[in-house]
Amino acid sequence: MMTSLRSPWLRLPLLVATLFLTACAGTQSRNTDPVNDPWEGYNRKMHAFNMGLDKYVARPLAVGYDRITPDPIQRGIGNFFRNLNYPVTGLNQLLQGKFDEFGESTERFLANTIFGLLGFIDIASMGNVPQHDEDFGQTLAVWGWEDSRYFVLPVLGPRTVRDTLGRSFYGFFHPISYAAREEGIYWPIAADLLQVRAALLPQDQAMLESYDPYVFVRDAWLQRREFLIYDGDPPELDYDAFLEELEE
Amino acid sequence: MIQTQNLWKAVTRLALTLVVSLALAAGLAAAAIAQDETPPDELVRNVAGTLLDDLNANTDVYQADPTQVEALVRRVLMPALDVEYSARLILGRAGRGATPEQIAAFADTVSNVLIERYASGMLEYGNREQLEVLPLRGDLNERATRVRTRVRMLNGNQLPVDYVFRRTDEGWKAFDVVVEGISYVTTYRNQIQPQVLESGIDAVTERLARGELELSE
Repeated sequence: MMTSLRSPWLRLPLLVATLFLTACAGTQSRNTDPVNDPWEGYNRKMHAFNMGLDKYVARPLAVGYDRITPDPIQRGIGNFFRNLNYPVTGLNQLLQGKFDEFGESTERFLANTIFGLLGFIDIASMGNVPQHDEDFGQTLAVWGWEDSRYFVLPVLGPRTVRDTLGRSFYGFFHPISYAAREEGIYWPIAADLLQVRAALLPQDQAMLESYDPYVFVRDAWLQRREFLIYDGDPPELDYDAFLEELEE
Repeated sequence: MIQTQNLWKAVTRLALTLVVSLALAAGLAAAAIAQDETPPDELVRNVAGTLLDDLNANTDVYQADPTQVEALVRRVLMPALDVEYSARLILGRAGRGATPEQIAAFADTVSNVLIERYASGMLEYGNREQLEVLPLRGDLNERATRVRTRVRMLNGNQLPVDYVFRRTDEGWKAFDVVVEGISYVTTYRNQIQPQVLESGIDAVTERLARGELELSE
């Protein structure tokens, strides 16, 4: 299982850098490779940088957190941060015209916040309220920006250009980034990054053992992203095309 | 009169025998077809049920000797898989010009790696997670179909796991597993293909078999 690193904030400088890079690359011909990764050279370098940062900073911290925090507490903290996503999810459901789902996300947020100790207990799941995952990057995809090139951000990791823009919008509305921006409270950001990294610890082995960790992370991330955009029901893979390649 | 009666009896007996044997034959044929044509969702349920029941019933045996789990997985799971088809999909254009023997050897090695990994996962999580098989969608007569399942994880999350099946002469067989939208075949392809193109299928098969080359899921 791969879980996307949800980092709901994005600083303005990053956005500017992205726009700049996008503008520079505007003249490049469209990549016909099935994986849209024309910036592979840059992406690989940034991936290596992020891996180094992870190895010496993020991972050791996450291992420490995982060791001293009992599982039920970790689950509660994970629930708390997940619950904070539902307002942004709901907003994007409205933008995508998914009104029933908007109702469910609102119900989730209210039930967990009011009756679930501010979200630490996932009351809504016990009541089988469906759970959705939306952000502005997905909304842009639903609106027609389906194919976007892969783009590795410093520290924050895998994105596409579309999702980089989407995250900045997302961050604007997210309670945690609101707290940082308006109140100057930064510890929730650090805490969220830490708990997300800790939840990914079981995946480390698979990634480190892979022949090409860059390709592994990229392909897994892009596939999961597509899965989320299509709300868990993406178009069937073209297996016949794989086979024809062999038999040609 | 008596003769007529006897004749009548004989005819009745013959007719009865015929009917019974016909019914039997039809029943057997139906059973044979049913055997071949177990719907894929039922196959998933059967395989998972057999594996979990066996694991739970013989926990001590398997804890003492984890290699037994591999044998169990091989026995129960393998007949439901089409590993050679998966191998062809993974190889793609990198497999052009490979002989059927080379492809079979490659498929064999990949499936060994998978079984090993699946078995250790089963031992670790097997009996604590719950599997829900969702109803099939679409037409069963198509050449391929997808069985959707939900695995309830320890932390309460539901993990979507899909199995992609194709119809073969020996019934439905799975050739890809898709976890949260991440396909094994696709992920392996992009890792394996460059190596096969670079050093050839035999060398890659050998490295896989020696455990020098790890695959990620």
